[in-house]
Amino acid sequence: MTTLTAFADWLAASPLPPLVTSHDWLVPAIQVVHILAIAAVLIASVHINLRVLNVLESDVALADVAGRFLPILWGALGVLALTGVLLIASEPNRAIFRTVFWVKLALATLATLATATQPRLALTGGQGATMAGGGQKVLAVLALILWALTVYAGRWIAYADSWPGAPG
Amino acid sequence: MSINTIAHALADTSLATALSDSSWLFGTVESIHVLALTLVIGSIALVDLRLIGVGPARGTADQVLRRLLPFTLGGFALAAATGSVLIFANPIGYSQNFWFGAKFSLLALAGINALAFHLFAQGKLLVDGALAPRVSGAISLLLWTAIIVSGRWIGYTI
Repeated sequence: MTTLTAFADWLAASPLPPLVTSHDWLVPAIQVVHILAIAAVLIASVHINLRVLNVLESDVALADVAGRFLPILWGALGVLALTGVLLIASEPNRAIFRTVFWVKLALATLATLATATQPRLALTGGQGATMAGGGQKVLAVLALILWALTVYAGRWIAYADSWPGAPG
Repeated sequence: MSINTIAHALADTSLATALSDSSWLFGTVESIHVLALTLVIGSIALVDLRLIGVGPARGTADQVLRRLLPFTLGGFALAAATGSVLIFANPIGYSQNFWFGAKFSLLALAGINALAFHLFAQGKLLVDGALAPRVSGAISLLLWTAIIVSGRWIGYTI
């Protein structure tokens, strides 16, 4: 809590808060970029995990699908981290003092790990064809559920109360 | 019947009361709305980028369109259903909100663009360097981004 308070104080004293709050339209504009990046993360994860489940692009090797969509996942996560920091900077004493914010980060981390490890788990069969085992398919379903929960937790940051005794 | 009369009638329903009384109902429906719209914009963006000639989607534009259409339609149905519920939370406020009107006008334009694509551009997908599919894809990308912008702006102006 003290580390977090120190971080919030440091962020509040940095040039970021006055910058992102200098115009009324800037915070919602950053949120739009954040939402577009969520769309990119989800469509990339949907492609990778539904390929594992043989629902999408089932005529193409998983490695090929992952090769095209994992860079999009990483790039969009970078945009989310950047816009996320800017959104926190707009109100340094808000999001990071709510449990649901940390739940969201944990869910996003698990969902990313579950999605990004998919191409490594595929068994290589004859002629380079890839097959997904039962466990891998369960992981694919889990990854998609985790992404949905991440969005839910993310939206909930706006409604949850801060911890008792949090600055603000 | 005017918009104002409809708005007042919606505000007088038990759904409107439930949304304002509950601490979790609005946020939950809104989360599903966000999830649905990201699916819509993600799948549409892949098709639009493919029409323009870039992006990660594999296959011809027609194949990409057919492959992703269930995601676009399913996401849109879910977004429309949850969006309809959200209106009940503040029907009078929404009916008087500029960005709410802008969002629906842009949705109508996106629908017209999709229809124009179907009528005039879809048949030219296999023509090398055809301009119509590219223009249609670019317009769609701009319109859907503008829809997200106006949707987000409703929350700040309501």
